[in-house]
Amino acid sequence: MNKSENFLDGINKHKGLIFKIASVYTNTIEDRNDLSQEIIYQLWKSFDSFDQKSSLSTWFYRVAMNVAIYHLNKGKRKIQSVALGDQIINFHEMDNSETEEKWRILKMEIDNLNLLEKGIVILYLENKSYEEIGHIIGISTTNVGTKLSRIKEKLKKQISKKL
Amino acid sequence: MELDDFKNTWDDLSAGVKINENFKPQKLNKMKQSNLKKILNNIILPETAGSIVCIAFAIYIGFRFDNLTTTTFKIIGIATILVLMILCAISLMSILPFYKIGNLDKTYSETVHDFAAKKINFYKLQKLNFLLTYLLFVLVIILSTRLFGVNNITESKYFFMYTFTFGFSLFLIFSKWVSKNYKKSIRTTEELLKDLSN
Repeated sequence: MNKSENFLDGINKHKGLIFKIASVYTNTIEDRNDLSQEIIYQLWKSFDSFDQKSSLSTWFYRVAMNVAIYHLNKGKRKIQSVALGDQIINFHEMDNSETEEKWRILKMEIDNLNLLEKGIVILYLENKSYEEIGHIIGISTTNVGTKLSRIKEKLKKQISKKL
Repeated sequence: MELDDFKNTWDDLSAGVKINENFKPQKLNKMKQSNLKKILNNIILPETAGSIVCIAFAIYIGFRFDNLTTTTFKIIGIATILVLMILCAISLMSILPFYKIGNLDKTYSETVHDFAAKKINFYKLQKLNFLLTYLLFVLVIILSTRLFGVNNITESKYFFMYTFTFGFSLFLIFSKWVSKNYKKSIRTTEELLKDLSN
C-alpha cells in the first residue's frame, strides 16, 4: 500500500472518531464540518511524521484531539482550510429522536467539563483502556482512574439535576 | 443516568458518517495555497485593522508635532505615540500565538497546558491593553487642544465636559464588564492548569 492508500484506509477506519471529536469540540454544523476537514488536513500533513512508536489508531486520536484544541485557539477567527468544494466527511442526520435527545443531553454535559476531562470522557466512551487513555492524554493510569471516577460522579449529579 | 448509559448513543453518533467517494488525499495538498490567501483575508487584515489605525494616528501626531509648542505638549505627544505603538504590539502579541499550530504529536495534556498558558497570557495582555486605552483617551483629549486647533480650553468647555463625562462613563461600564469576564475566564483556566498538574 502506498502513502495515499494507507492514509485513506486510516481515515475510513477512523471516520467516526473524527466526526465525533469534531462534534464534541464545536457547537454548529458549520464549525463541525470545518473542524473535521481541518483534522483530516492536519493528519495528512503530519502523516509522514508518524513514527510507528505507537499504533496508528493512538496517533489518529492524539492528532485529532490536538487539532481540536488548536481549533479552539483560533476562537472566532477560524480559517476554513478546505477549498475542495465538497465535504470530505458526510453525515446523515439521525432519524432516531431518542438517540438525538440523548446526544443533546450528553453534549450539554460534556460542554460543562474542562478540556482535560473532555478528552478523558471521549476516550472512555470510545472504550479505550485506562492504559490507552493515559498514553494518549499523557497522564498515569492511576490518574486516569481517579479523574474518571470524579468525572462520572460530576456528570451523574449534573444529569440527575436536569432530568 | 450515568456516563456508561450514553455509550450506545456515542456509538450511534458515527453510524451515518461516510467519506466522500470522490475524496483523494492528494487534493489536500491544494489546501496549502488557498490557506495563505485565507489567512491574509480572514485573519491578518481584520486583526491588524486596529493596529493600522494606531500607526496612522501615531504618524499623524508625528506630522503635526510642530503644533505641540510647549515642552509639556511635546512630552504628551511622545507619550501618546509610545502608547499607540505599545497598543499595536500588544494587539499582535496577543493574537498571533493562537494561529501557530504546534507539534501535533504532543500528548493531549501538553497541548491543553499550552492552550491554557496562551489563554492566561492573552487575558493579561488584554487587561494591559485596556488600561493603556484609558491612558490614551486622556492623552488624546489633552493633545486635541493642539492637534485639532482647539487652543483655548475655556472656549470649548462643553466639548471637554461631554467627552470626559460620556467617555469615562462608557469606560467605567465597559471596564466592569471586561474585568468580570476576564476574572471568570482566568479563574477557569487556572483551575484547568491546576487539574493538569494533579
